Amino acid sequence: MTPPSTVFQRRILIGAMICIAAFSLVGIRLVDVTLFNSGADRIKPAAPVLLSRADLLDRNGELLARDLPADDLYARPQMLTDKRRAAHELAVATGAEEQRLSHLFAGKYKSVLVARQLSRAARDKVSLLKLPGLEYQPNWKRYYPDGRMSAQVVGVTDLDDKGVSGLELGLEKRLHASPDPVVTSLDMRVQFILAHEAQASLEEFRAKAAGGLVMDVRTGEILGLVSLPDFDPNTRDFTGTDSGRDVMVQDVYELGSVFKIFSFAMAIENHNVNLDEWIPIGNGYRIGRYTIHEAEHMPAMLRARDVLAQSSNIGTAQIVLRSGPDRQQSFLRKMGLLAPVTSELPEGAHPLYPDHWGIIETATIGFGHGVSVSPLSFAAAAAAVVNGGRRIEPTFLKHSEDARGEQVISPQTSATMRELLRYVVTDGTGKKADVPGYDVGGKTGSAEKSAGRRGYQAHKLVTSFCAAFPIGNPRYLVFVLLDEPHGTKATGGFALAGYTAAPLAGHVISRIAPLLGVPIDPITAAKENSSNGNG
Amino acid sequence: MIRVVSTFCVGLMGFSILSLYHVSEQTRVARQELAGTEKSISAERDEISVLEAQWQKVAGPDTIQRLAQSSLGMNDTTTVQLSSLTLLPRRGDEPLNNEPVRAASAQVPAAPAPVVRAAVRSGM
Repeated sequence: MTPPSTVFQRRILIGAMICIAAFSLVGIRLVDVTLFNSGADRIKPAAPVLLSRADLLDRNGELLARDLPADDLYARPQMLTDKRRAAHELAVATGAEEQRLSHLFAGKYKSVLVARQLSRAARDKVSLLKLPGLEYQPNWKRYYPDGRMSAQVVGVTDLDDKGVSGLELGLEKRLHASPDPVVTSLDMRVQFILAHEAQASLEEFRAKAAGGLVMDVRTGEILGLVSLPDFDPNTRDFTGTDSGRDVMVQDVYELGSVFKIFSFAMAIENHNVNLDEWIPIGNGYRIGRYTIHEAEHMPAMLRARDVLAQSSNIGTAQIVLRSGPDRQQSFLRKMGLLAPVTSELPEGAHPLYPDHWGIIETATIGFGHGVSVSPLSFAAAAAAVVNGGRRIEPTFLKHSEDARGEQVISPQTSATMRELLRYVVTDGTGKKADVPGYDVGGKTGSAEKSAGRRGYQAHKLVTSFCAAFPIGNPRYLVFVLLDEPHGTKATGGFALAGYTAAPLAGHVISRIAPLLGVPIDPITAAKENSSNGNG
Repeated sequence: MIRVVSTFCVGLMGFSILSLYHVSEQTRVARQELAGTEKSISAERDEISVLEAQWQKVAGPDTIQRLAQSSLGMNDTTTVQLSSLTLLPRRGDEPLNNEPVRAASAQVPAAPAPVVRAAVRSGM
């Protein structure tokens, strides 16, 4: 018979069993983790901290903006033997201010910032100095390969790589959310052509500012948006006439006769006009104590379609008064012209319109005076007129789907308006915008600039042209604007839109239409070429 | 017997220690090499990124146009798209406008395409 175990023996046994159990548990867990990989899915790697912004690309994958390594340079003054010489050499190599460096090196600072966002070339120069106590802090600098060409729409970042304007600010969250590039709707080929032609017109007509945009009327994508004067986004320096103001988005204009597009769309939608009816024009149209005049000499009578084609203010006023103030206000509101347009661009402008919308206001707004809207807002509303009558929001992000929204005018009205706009180009004031074979339709606008309470300045115009092509089934809308253009010898001294903005739109369309794959109509091309005396 | 087993165990332990040391040393060296490689990959990526951006600048339409004008003597002209593929008659279809299809070379006009007039800046 075995003697009973002592207390100590029992304690040793219990301790041994606890140890065996503990080691068994650890062993089982080890086998589980190593062989069966259990619980691996619960271990998530820490989300990578994105130090830089994602690239901005155009719709074809061309680079618009990218963060390039540009480190900050720091120096430890106590490690510099000849501080004055070091300050001089570093100032020469980096472009920093020598006096500031000398002052900082002489102080009791442990570390001194010499220069921010050093370029590769500057860094190479600093390396050649072989100075002790220099340190680099990783940093980035936003680089814009296309420079001024897309400066206004793409925008810029500040020294801390935060967006301050344009798409850089509007897409800030998206650019930091993922390292994947953000693809915009812009097409750099279109942007280049638009910028090139706008610059040429700005110089030719000695205009104060110029701008243009190209919009897909079905998707709402903006393929190009240019505003001149512009600035160099890589230096961020504003010199001479440089401006960071985007006239197409931030400024509001009384656009003049181009607004007649909406007056006619409203009249046709309300069945208030027969396009073949004769409308008396005369020398002036009196409403109360105001008299409406024409910008140019007009016949005594015009058919309604010629009122638009010849851009008659008196005829338009009579047509628009048939609808009245309430219907006009409601129509313009429905077209989105009385509210700021929304897009990815953070910049915007509130439209200006009269508090009291009476008879005289109805007449003047009918031909584009009295309501001020931004060109982007106008283009979005005009796109709805020609795209089948459906609302479209402008966007700067690429997407290929049809984004047309609610029906704002009937498809029949839209079709009639397209015919009328084509008529303006073939037989009216927009002849110089025609491009044989591409069936351009459009409307001119020449507005005298307001001088506040002193009325309007006859010699200071804002000229614009709104075009759509191919007008039978429009895909693209081009809107161009010139602020205070001057007539030239070639235009006979005229600065009206038909002589300044319409040719600009024509040049743009003739260059972008083949690039965008718009099919040429060989029949109209042959007809128009032969009528031009070339065929 | 116990002595033999003990000696074997001690030997195995010693071998294990040496093996472990060797493996850990190899791992340390490999880690260093990996860090170096990752650093050079990152540097190369930065270089590629810079080169891509520079390429974008030198291959931009602005630069190409300037060089084409200065070096090749080319001038602004309008691109004329004669037709699109969808408008071309298919095999067996009636020729366009019931006209006989001619060889492309026979349709090239001797003079510049008349569409150019629409894009001429002066005189408009």
